[in-house]
Amino acid sequence: MQKENITVIQGSIVEEEVLFTLVELCQACSVEEEHVLAWVFEGVLEPIGESPQEWRFKGESLRRARMAWRLSHDLDINPPGVALALDLLDEIATLRARLQRAGIS
Amino acid sequence: MKFKDYYEILGVPRDATQDDIKRAYRKLARKYHPDVSKVADAETRFKELGEAYAVLKDPEKHAAYDQMGSRWKAGQDFQPPPGWDAGFEFSGRDFEAAPGRDQSEFFEALFGRRAGPGQRSHMHAQGQDHHAKVMIDLADAYRGAQRSISLRMPVLDAQGQVTMQERTLDVSIPKEIRAGQHLRLAGQGGPGLGKGPAGDLYLEIAFNPHPQFRTDGRDVYLDLPLAPWEAALGASIAAPTPVGPVQLTIPPNSAAGRQLRLKGRGIPGTPPGDLYVVLKMVLPPAENESAREAYRTMAKAFDFNPRTHEKG
Repeated sequence: MQKENITVIQGSIVEEEVLFTLVELCQACSVEEEHVLAWVFEGVLEPIGESPQEWRFKGESLRRARMAWRLSHDLDINPPGVALALDLLDEIATLRARLQRAGIS
Repeated sequence: MKFKDYYEILGVPRDATQDDIKRAYRKLARKYHPDVSKVADAETRFKELGEAYAVLKDPEKHAAYDQMGSRWKAGQDFQPPPGWDAGFEFSGRDFEAAPGRDQSEFFEALFGRRAGPGQRSHMHAQGQDHHAKVMIDLADAYRGAQRSISLRMPVLDAQGQVTMQERTLDVSIPKEIRAGQHLRLAGQGGPGLGKGPAGDLYLEIAFNPHPQFRTDGRDVYLDLPLAPWEAALGASIAAPTPVGPVQLTIPPNSAAGRQLRLKGRGIPGTPPGDLYVVLKMVLPPAENESAREAYRTMAKAFDFNPRTHEKG
């Protein structure tokens, strides 16, 4: 096993500082464009802009698109199913956060 | 290396049909999918499932696996018998282990390591973007930090073989970052092909669990235990925050569950989060006579029935 060292690297916080184009989002998630188009069509992702060439995806889209890909790939779920699963997972997360704030979980 | 019983992992009998295997896999995969499940070892379970399914759903591998017979038990020390796979042709040994992102040693010993990503057709292409998870302390989000991160990533060597390469990156963790957010390190992903630029590396941030603090976005929550007299009479108490204690004034007549908001003491940012101190009441045990006497005096002093405050 080779080892190499590299000096301190600065990064940017995706959720705060990054807007993705369609191509960049596909590259970041290693998914084909057709999947992202289908997810946008189902409302899983909501880019700003009119045409796919003008679309800009907010930083949070990275997490969402990666989850969408894992769900569709691992569980063989189609885009409407992915949209439903993500909506339900969001709702569960909101409820869990509420429990946590109350110190219950 | 331990033997893995793929039938046991999927919870199916050895004579299960392809449909049974698929059904069992799907059911367990939904249960243990890391994005869905909150079970602690979900990720490990899910990988095992993927591996078991990749073998049992494939007629060639299924038959080869069965060939080894049922004399092996899960967890037993195992070396594949020489020539065990003679007569079986695995389609080029380049299959993808269903969802399995990295396979177990056991799987690799039997079926070989999955080949790297296919070469792209054009000669100059950007390298792949990689992802990794990093645990930081909550205090790092307040102050920023520098972390050394070890990453193992598969690299194609000159012979086209996949080898694991370890890299250590010294990464500056910016303050204001929160759990669930991603840090993008430009050019630290997979190498580009030809003159193509390297891909990016994305680090998903998570906080190390803390015994006192919980977070919700930028807001931080802390349970603060109080004695009944502190809550009743008011008090000035040193309360911990992720970056050191602050002196906190507890107003008189504070009820359990009351939240005191320390504005701007959550995770920094624009705007910064708040720190919520949730008051908890702790009753001193009546373990000796003077303590019991104190409770009796209280009972006399108060005309108090806690049940009258209950609402249906």
